[in-house]
Amino acid sequence: MGEEVTYRVGIPVLGLRGENLGRLEKVLFTESRHQVTGLVVRSLESLHIVPLEKVTSVSGTEIRTHLTPNDLHQSPVFDPTQYEEVPPWFFPPGHHIELGALVTIKPLDVREQGEESAVSRRAFMGKSVALLASAIGISLLVPIGGYIMAAATTPVTDNWRDLGVKLQDLPLDEPVQRSFRAVSVSGWMRVPEDRSVWLIRHSGASDPWSEPEDQKKNLDSPLEEGHADPRLTVLSPICPHLGCEPQWHKGQKLFICPCHHSIYQLNGKVIGGPAPRPMDQLPVRISPDGSIAVIYEQFAIGIAAKVRLA
Amino acid sequence: MGQKIVEYLDERVRIRALMSFLLNEPMPGGSRWAYIPGSMVLFVLILQFITGMMLAFYYGGTPDHAWDSVNYIDHLTYRGVPVGRLIRGIHYWGSSIMVIAVGIHLLQVFLWGAYKRPREIMWLVGTVLLALTMTAAFSGYLLPWDERAYWGTIVGTNMIGLIPLVGEAIKDAIRGGVGLGALTLSHFFTLHTMILPTLFILFVMLHMVIFRRVGPAGPFSGTPEQNEATKDTFYPRQVLMDSFGMMGVFILILLLAILRPPGLESVANPSNAAYNPTPAWYFDWIFQLLKMIRPEIVGVVGLPVLIAVVLVLLPFLDKKPVRSPFKRPLSVLSTLFVLVSMVVLSIMAENGYKKLVDVDRAAMARGQVVFNQSGCIGCHTVFGKGGKIGPDLSEEGLVGHSEHWLTVQFVNSKAHFPDSIMPDFTYLTKQQQHDLSMYISSLGRMGWPDPTKAQ
Repeated sequence: MGEEVTYRVGIPVLGLRGENLGRLEKVLFTESRHQVTGLVVRSLESLHIVPLEKVTSVSGTEIRTHLTPNDLHQSPVFDPTQYEEVPPWFFPPGHHIELGALVTIKPLDVREQGEESAVSRRAFMGKSVALLASAIGISLLVPIGGYIMAAATTPVTDNWRDLGVKLQDLPLDEPVQRSFRAVSVSGWMRVPEDRSVWLIRHSGASDPWSEPEDQKKNLDSPLEEGHADPRLTVLSPICPHLGCEPQWHKGQKLFICPCHHSIYQLNGKVIGGPAPRPMDQLPVRISPDGSIAVIYEQFAIGIAAKVRLA
Repeated sequence: MGQKIVEYLDERVRIRALMSFLLNEPMPGGSRWAYIPGSMVLFVLILQFITGMMLAFYYGGTPDHAWDSVNYIDHLTYRGVPVGRLIRGIHYWGSSIMVIAVGIHLLQVFLWGAYKRPREIMWLVGTVLLALTMTAAFSGYLLPWDERAYWGTIVGTNMIGLIPLVGEAIKDAIRGGVGLGALTLSHFFTLHTMILPTLFILFVMLHMVIFRRVGPAGPFSGTPEQNEATKDTFYPRQVLMDSFGMMGVFILILLLAILRPPGLESVANPSNAAYNPTPAWYFDWIFQLLKMIRPEIVGVVGLPVLIAVVLVLLPFLDKKPVRSPFKRPLSVLSTLFVLVSMVVLSIMAENGYKKLVDVDRAAMARGQVVFNQSGCIGCHTVFGKGGKIGPDLSEEGLVGHSEHWLTVQFVNSKAHFPDSIMPDFTYLTKQQQHDLSMYISSLGRMGWPDPTKAQ
């Protein structure tokens, strides 16, 4: 790369013998080559295009060419409607050109069809692009949405878990915590885990505590309503306040949660502490031989309603 | 509303100037359909990124979960639509289409002579992107951890081990040990989902930046003045052509994903020495060539090195400015020779593979009933259940017996094995024989239990 070239609009353009041909008006840029390829010279009668090969020297004050006035007269006329300004990021390196002086030929369709119809044609093409892009985007995003939701909405299957204990073996009116093996399913993984429930065998229907508080307050879902037994109440071990595990205090005959001291009666009724609802009753099924099966459900904590977690 | 957003952004980030810089790029000689392959590669790459991220949502990258997680994805449905199979299908076929698109792009740039001065550096970055594409295809092959994946990777990494002096060390480093195991899988997963995408983004950006610095090469014929006179801007005509191309490619990939969903063979079984691994189709020609070249080392090491050297040195050796393919007969003829050889070698390789029976799923289901009712299970084990007198048939579908071979085996096993003690099930009807052969051909290849419904 040689010295830096400076083009200043308005400096004189001199001919073969130093005669004044006109003044520099524009600089022509060929985008395909990333090069300045010509100058537009304003002479007395019109604007002419001078190819850069005819220019011998360019300085800050004058441009020398080997053209005669007649040559200039023969050279093509510059039609400003066919050219447009070059944006600054296309300026060739090593050239100082005054802003607005560098021009390039307009795209073919603009020159042939005129600015207005070319622009409206282009707007139409732009809309077609947007249409195609949206079609691809939507047909990709819809299955992706389903793909994400597919796992999120996998229904929880209700499994009856046999607790391995018989009704007749349970003590009367005394909660017993019973552990059993459950399987937690997450996608492709099945993890065995230990769960527990409280079992309360009632001495009789006359017992004022025999009816679970959930039933009294109508908090149960059809699943729990359909699988209740007056002989036995099954309570979830999870405190509906914040998910700790209330413990049975034999002397006081109360469930007390160690975390925030929610206090429950034998039937799950809250009689103290911050708990928003009674202890959750779970569905139970008792076979003729007395063996007990439950569905282990989990519910949202911290709210008054008994909302099952999917 | 849209106008207001544009105004807001224009005041702050000069969005109009930015968009105009990005879109009003001059295209010498005008827009052409011939220029779309590069955009197709970028489109498929983006598609791979999106679907790959989706697959990673549910994928478990350890040998004891990888296969289960892929099987889980295969069974994911939403409102009856098999979305999991669809997403995996797009990713699976996307990789093949990406290899094709990269090949077409490379070929077009070569034939147009567009790698010549001043675009040598862009070509070099392109060869890096080619290498990344092939590495991505190779590393993704292992992730489902089925038989094909496992044995294909065993062979692929063994080839790396043949490199003199450093080969063994590189192989063990890639595998994370001497054998193929948990570390290999997490190495490949990391390579496939972290390292390669990062490099892809980096080199694609570099490719594009250089492209904008040097500009499009334009047509190989015509003077600069003619190309200047017929020039066009990138937006909207070329963008529209690219969009049509992308739509076509997208439909093609969708059709393939729906009509030919990717399979899942039985989980990788390192003790199944009888398994006959075959490479992905785009490595077929190398596979065939390697069979012909002796000693192996020349093919395994020499061939990739030769390809790399030719591609890297090409723009520096071929300095003649002439771009038209019609004036470069040597280049074009040698390209043609390479292409034809690749096709012929691939066909030879494909013919050498044992063709697995195309399983008809309805017949397969009926065949399973026949299998369970005809007492086959008394002697043969399938998926851990059954007798031990006959061979375990859990992966029988991968052996590659033809339907004819199987039906003869059912009715007259002594034709194949003179000492066979298998009874001749001659009472099976033709239909039952067909169904049963479909079921046997499916074993180890499909029909896996649905983990989304499992108890």
